[in-house]
Amino acid sequence: MNADVIIKTENLCKFYRGGDIKALNNVNAEIKKGEVVVVIGPSGSGKSTFLRSLNLLEIPSAGKILFDGVDITDKKVNINVHRQKMGMVFQQFNLFPHMTILKNLTLAPMKLLKKTKAEAEEQAMKLLDRVGLKDRADAYPSQLSGGQKQRVAIVRALCMNPDVMLFDEPTSALDPEMVGEVLDVMKSLADAGMTMVVVTHEMNFAKEVGTRVIFMDDGMIVEEGTPSDIFDNPQNERTKTFLEKVL
Amino acid sequence: MSFKERFFLNFIKDERWHYLTDGLWVTLQVTFFAVLIGIAIGVIVAAIRSTHDKLIDKTRSPFAKLILKFFNTIANVYLTVIRGTPVTVQLMIAYYVIFVTSNNKVLVAVLAFGINSGAYVAEIVRSGIMSIDEGQTEAGRTLGLNYVQTMFYIVLPQAFKNVLPALANEFIVLLKETSVSGYVALQDLTRGGDIIRGRTYDAFFPLLAVAAIYLVMVIGFTKIVSLIERRLRKSER
Repeated sequence: MNADVIIKTENLCKFYRGGDIKALNNVNAEIKKGEVVVVIGPSGSGKSTFLRSLNLLEIPSAGKILFDGVDITDKKVNINVHRQKMGMVFQQFNLFPHMTILKNLTLAPMKLLKKTKAEAEEQAMKLLDRVGLKDRADAYPSQLSGGQKQRVAIVRALCMNPDVMLFDEPTSALDPEMVGEVLDVMKSLADAGMTMVVVTHEMNFAKEVGTRVIFMDDGMIVEEGTPSDIFDNPQNERTKTFLEKVL
Repeated sequence: MSFKERFFLNFIKDERWHYLTDGLWVTLQVTFFAVLIGIAIGVIVAAIRSTHDKLIDKTRSPFAKLILKFFNTIANVYLTVIRGTPVTVQLMIAYYVIFVTSNNKVLVAVLAFGINSGAYVAEIVRSGIMSIDEGQTEAGRTLGLNYVQTMFYIVLPQAFKNVLPALANEFIVLLKETSVSGYVALQDLTRGGDIIRGRTYDAFFPLLAVAAIYLVMVIGFTKIVSLIERRLRKSER
């Protein structure tokens, strides 16, 4: 396997109702270090299922997922160790409402990376500062706006020093005026060299920040290429139809 | 007989108020330790049941599946039997059948009421666990926390806050349910009042005194719970 490849899926399948519904149908994908892979497609195309399979939030029905060369679908693998290296950001933020922002950020580093409270807080504050929310460290999630919550959620994942970040429609639950602030954070993350897999409907983000675009439909990768390949010169009929609707 | 004379007869003469204070002490002991046992059993049973429901389709090891099913079956039998029979009958079975050699009535009552309460606490706690959005669990697990850590640090604290009113209700019910302790001749508060009634042939004073003592305890307890609730709601401003 190429040393640059960080995630590789081989014939990944996810079936529901005993195979009647094929949410993922033999998906073969490779994600290389430093890439920003944007996954687009109509709703129900399997793009979220694909993303959620990468850290086994969805258990694949068949196929393999190699993360850093290790097949994490192997039952003997301790998935918790590998999940530490894959940050994830959700559509609904999923901050812990009973903890302050700072506690949200330091819980996992203290429990899993065995950092001291001071170390974890120092790193959390540094990252919070980068997203412009240093002064909200002692607030509770309910006191934040949607955009602020999502920025905190991104920082929470970053506090574990992940090798790759997975974004599951990170701006879909936001009011329009807050989409920009979250995309800006994601863009600066990409500029800093973070490997990212992003499921999104923000086509401008895909064009500007994406290094590669994957178009999915019916649980399969229909077409993939650079943003200009996909947006300016789509080959597949289904890609063309989809882009006509969303652009 | 005047009001004053009846009061004297029922409570002061022959130090009859001791029946109430001694009985109150027994009621408090039984309730306190039964609550502790009830919480312990309840949390364990709720953990087994909700873990089974959440993980049975996700776990990949057949051995883990078997273990989950085994404990879940035991938990279900326990809930069915305890919730399907009256606490008074359970108490009598405990005293006259199971612990027939024991003469420590307080201990038997603590066990009987604790085991009974555990079943109700279990379902309350389980409803709390189930009320927490799946996204919370997913967020914990994707950070790399294992199932137990996610439960302990993320799900249970939120679940506890949600079920506090229902739990408080269960403990109020438990406090009052211990009034059937007389069925095994344990001299609790209710029995104490009843003994006075037997001595003085006056029902009014001892029974109303007993009722008033229960009421004061429940009001005090409700106050404490609402204080805790207010503290826990801090994060919802």
